[in-house]
This record gives sequence, C-alpha cells and structure tokens, in this order.
Amino acid sequence: MNVSDPRPPARPGRRSVLKAAALGAVAAPVLSACGGDGDGTRLRFYQSKPEVLGYFDQIIEDFHRRQSGIEVKHDATGSLVASFVRDAPFDLVCVNYNLDESGTFVGRGVLSDLAGLPEAGRIDPNVQALVGQYASYRDETSVLPYSVTAAGVIYNKDLFAQHGVGVPTTWTELIRACETFRSRSVIPVYGTYQAPWTISQGLFDYLVGGTLDVADFFARLKAQGTDVGPDSEVSFQRTFAPAVEKMLQLGSYANPDAASRDYPDGNAAFAQGKVAMYLQGPWAIGEITKANPRVRMGTFALPATDRPADRKARVNIDLSLWIPRGAAEPEAARQFLSYLMTPAVMDKYNAENLAFSPVRNAPAVTDERIVDLEPYVREARFYQGAGTYIPGIIPLTNYLQELVFTGDGDRFLGKLDNDWRRLAVRSL
Amino acid sequence: MATTLPGTTSAGPSRAQEKNAPEPGGRRRSGWGLTVLIVLASLAVLLPLYFTVAMALKSSEEAATGSGFSWPWPMRFDNFATAWEMTAFPRAFAISLAVTVATVAGLVTLASCAAYAIARNWERKLFRWSYFYLLAAMFIPFPVIALPQIKLVSIVNLDNPAGVAILHILFGLSFNVLLYTAFLRSIPYELEESARLDGASTWQVFWRLIFPLLAPMNATVGIFAFLASWNDFMMPSLITSDPAMQTIPVVQSIFQSQFSANYNVAFASYLMAMAPTVLAYLFAQRWVMTGVTRGAIK
Repeated sequence: MNVSDPRPPARPGRRSVLKAAALGAVAAPVLSACGGDGDGTRLRFYQSKPEVLGYFDQIIEDFHRRQSGIEVKHDATGSLVASFVRDAPFDLVCVNYNLDESGTFVGRGVLSDLAGLPEAGRIDPNVQALVGQYASYRDETSVLPYSVTAAGVIYNKDLFAQHGVGVPTTWTELIRACETFRSRSVIPVYGTYQAPWTISQGLFDYLVGGTLDVADFFARLKAQGTDVGPDSEVSFQRTFAPAVEKMLQLGSYANPDAASRDYPDGNAAFAQGKVAMYLQGPWAIGEITKANPRVRMGTFALPATDRPADRKARVNIDLSLWIPRGAAEPEAARQFLSYLMTPAVMDKYNAENLAFSPVRNAPAVTDERIVDLEPYVREARFYQGAGTYIPGIIPLTNYLQELVFTGDGDRFLGKLDNDWRRLAVRSL
Repeated sequence: MATTLPGTTSAGPSRAQEKNAPEPGGRRRSGWGLTVLIVLASLAVLLPLYFTVAMALKSSEEAATGSGFSWPWPMRFDNFATAWEMTAFPRAFAISLAVTVATVAGLVTLASCAAYAIARNWERKLFRWSYFYLLAAMFIPFPVIALPQIKLVSIVNLDNPAGVAILHILFGLSFNVLLYTAFLRSIPYELEESARLDGASTWQVFWRLIFPLLAPMNATVGIFAFLASWNDFMMPSLITSDPAMQTIPVVQSIFQSQFSANYNVAFASYLMAMAPTVLAYLFAQRWVMTGVTRGAIK
C-alpha cells in the first residue's frame, strides 16, 4: 500500500460537518414553505376509493373553474391516522364510514360539528341515524353521509325467467327457488368463502339483519356491559342461534368448491351466467359488469322469515364527509363540502355508482340492477350489517369461515360471546 | 487417457473428468434428472412472469373472466399508458430511486464505519455495549413504534422522502452492523498494522484498506438494502405527508381495494416498477449470487 502520499488525509472537519447539518436543518422548513405557488387557499382533500378517483378529479376541476380562491389538492394515498398524529389532519375527508376508523375519530371528538350547515338539514334523518349507531360525540353531527349503498341478493334475471322462478318474498320461497335451481344443475347461491369478509357481508349480515333488529341488539349488548354469556339477557348465543341455523341451511346450496373460491372468482362465475343468486352488494355489480356487460341482473332483499313485510336491505354509508377540528382551512373545507353536496354533483355521483343519495326527496333511482331496493332505503327498512358492529379486533370473519366449514353454530356463538366479554372487561 | 474430453488441456486431467467421461449410459440418465429439475425451477420463475406480462396486456373483460394462461388478443398496450398517468410514474419512480439510492449509500457507509469502530475496539466497554445497543434495535419492528415515529419526524420537518431514507438507514443499521462486524473479525489485524507502520491514519486505513476488503459484504448489504427500501410500503405511506412525494409501492395501492381490482392496469404498473430491479439483476447477476450466499453463511 502506498502511503507516501504527502497530502493530509481527506477528512471532513468537525466544523464543516456541523455547518452542513445546521444548514440542512434551516433549509428544510424554508424549502417546504416555498412549495406553495398559488396565492389562494390550499385545501387538502382526502378521498381514496379507487373506482372513483377520476370522478373526483373531474369534480375538483369543475370546482376550480367556478371559483379561484380555493385550490383543492386531492390525496388518495395518505394515511388518516398519520395525519392526525402529526397534528396536520386533512381539511376535508370523503371516506367509507365504519366502526374501526371513522367511528373512532367520531368517538374521540376530533371531528368538527357540521350541524349548522344547511346541507346537514337536507339529510334524511333515518340515514343520519346510521352514523350514531357506531359512535357519537355529544349531540354533534360529526359526519355527513354522502352515498348509501344497499345490498341484497344479486340475481340473474335470465336464469330466473328460464327456470320459471319468481323473485322470492319469503324464506320458504327462497329455499324452494334454491331447490329448483339445484335440480336443474344451476348453482343456486355462489359462495366465496376463501375471502372471509364475503361470508360476513353476505350470509351472516343478511340472515341476522333479516331475523332481528341489529341496531337494537348491539345497543342493548353494549348497555349490558361485561356480563355477556349464555345466561345473560342479551348475548349472541341467546339471540343469534336461529339466524345461524338459517345461514347454514342457505349455505348448503352453495357451490361445492366455495371453500376455495375468492371474491373475484364469484364475480367471474356470475358474469358467465353460471349462478342464479349471489349475496353481494353493488360493488360486485360493477365488477360483474366489467367482466360481462350483457348479463341482466337485479337485486332483491333477502327474505329471512315467512312474512314478506319483514324483508329488509343491508345498507352502509359508502362515502361520508367530515372536517377535522384541527383542519387548517375549515372555511374553505365547508365551501368545497357544500359544492360536493349540491344536488347536481351528489346525485350524479350516486346514480353513476349504483348508490342512493342520503338526502330527503332524492331523485328516483332508475338503474334496473338496484331499483328494487329503493323502497327499502326510502322507507328506512334497512340495517347496517351485524358484522360491521363488531370491532375488527374480534376475528369475526375467521370464526365465520370456521362456521361454514364445520357447521358448529354453538361453538361459533360461544366464541363471539367470550370475545365480546373479554373486550368489554378490557375497555372498562 | 484416451477418453479425455476434447477441448480440455492435456496437462494432468483431473479425477472428475475421468469419472465423467467414459460411461455414456449413466451419465445421460443423471443429466435428464438435472434437466427436469432445472426446468421445474425455471418454471417457478417464468410462469409468474408470464402471468404478469399476459395480464398487463389484457382488457378489463379478459382480466376478469379469462384463464391466467390465455394470451390476450388484441394486446392492450394502453394499459401501460393508463398506469403511467394514474401513478404519475416518472415522478414516483424518481422519488423511489432517490430514497433507495440514499438508503443503500447511507447504510453501506454508516454500517461499515460503525462496525469497524466496534470490531477494532471490542475490548472497550463503550464500544461493546454500543454494539449490543444497536443489535437490540433488531427486536423492535417498525409498526410498534410507527405512531411516535410519525410524530417525531413531522416535528423536525422530515415528513418527506428524506425522512423515509433516514429511517430506512436507521432500521437497517442493526442487522448490517452485525454482518459487517462478523466479517471484519475475519480480516487479519496484521494487514492494518502494516499500513499503520507506513504512517496511515485511521481514516486512511479504513477507506484505503478495510473498505475495499469489505467489498463482498458491501454487495450483500447493498442488495438487501436496495430490495427492502425499493419494496417498502408501510414506512413511506405513513411518514410522507405530501401525496406528490410518495414512492411507487404506495402510489400503486390505488389499483386495488377489497371490493374492486384493476388487475390489468395494476400489472402493467407492476411491470414498470419491476423493470429496474430485473435489469439490475441481469447485469449484476454474478455479484448478486455471491453476495447473497455470503450473507447466508455469515
């Protein structure tokens, strides 16, 4: 090795290193401040539903054309939790309303009260009440529903006509329809048990929702506190047994390979016209149509009893709007919220995405694939799926998968009661 | 030695050649077995690659119904254009690349320096304990401390790709210091001693002598750091606050949700994101293989 090099070692001095570090620390905030180029207000808008990213970009463009004071920045990839943690929440958020995420924000009181907005007054009170079933904060209106999706049984109209089966209005008729299809070698109900959430969304939610008052059950269960078990007044074991029995009965008409079928397989099979009935919501209709635009389908509410008047639809608030208390631009956020909720924008969104407007006197739905569910939404004959009231920390969907494989309903309900009690004990 | 294979040098044929050359029957059978094995092994790589390419060229309808094996016709190259636009590909790609390069460079320098200091001062308590301290970090997964990290990083204005790169370096430090330290112990101290006798300073010894000797370990660390940083989803998605500064894996999450998937466009995008890794692998295959196996032994 040649070390006769007379130059001193090329060593960055301690001072220059410190100087560079200090410079970087000073430059970082300055640079980030330089980022803003417009002189108007910059609104950070979060919306991440993949199917409608383009739609919202179009709306934002229209909004920019109408006014020049507010520039909307659309974020589709950020993290809501992270934005709250770094004390820089988004100004306006448009997301699915659920128990574990949005519900938590509501319960902790980090969302601003929107009750004063004229738009809040236009919402159907029955739909607004759905928000409070997961969480609430004082008497505030923290979340405004934007789009309601209703789910039932998607059925193949051509197969029903071909085999002379009418839309069932009672449980007996439904089972008879299944028998007919089975005897003609048509798959009566397509199961996709490899995707556990589909068992919860379909069989579980529909049969529980069709046989009992879901919101009331969970309200009483929560009020009961930690004393949950086979002998308590309210419990899964006491209340859900008939629904679980029917789940298993209907499940017996599913395709024999349901255990190894995933959600996209179900959509593909329905699109190919192999399936009479499919327990899915409008999100699946979009996927089916993408695979085969010619398949004629409709949706009916699953009858879980023998009284046609008992039929109800499963709904969920697919998109909701909220403004965090810590938003940097609450005024601009309210302005853009108002624009999003103008009938022209809101109704067009819901019509194009097979959803229902949450406002009173919304225009009639015309799409034949979901039109049969409209009376249920307008007359509030609906429920939010039982599975959506159970915190994600209880592995409900895995238990359901075990249930449909083993058929052991007692074990399933016992586990739910145990887990619910354990969670109640821990959170008190 | 009449059966020496043509082309081999006549100077002392080895025992292996003797064994291989004569028996034609036995040799062919073992050759077939090996061929089948290699075919199976290469299928494990080529089949998924075929699915990816085929899917990237399908229409939405073909993607939803057709079998994975069916070749799309006509081929839809516009999937690539759609993916390019939806992800703002050039920008996301540049950011991913910058984060990855910074991570690799930072890790190789920092971890090797730290390991050198530790390995050569092992008898001193401070260094020995700092080694254990660094190793302890291996037992702390990122998700556990994600929230405080987000808070901390945003306080110092590093909620951007620079912060992601720094965190990648810090989280990679423990394992890579372990690798380097183990490797450094196998480098004889006498080499260093002779350099010192010639008047080299510590800095010179490290950069002129030790660092070049670490080359195989640099390759290992570099490859692992590259893969981990390029493919990471969680850290950039949580740390970076500006959506325009997101890396490719995060941007690509818009193609899929629980309820819907744009498989054809997604796979076109995945192919584009994979391209640099595949290209780098093709050119650096030799070093990758030796680097990875060395990492496995150490």
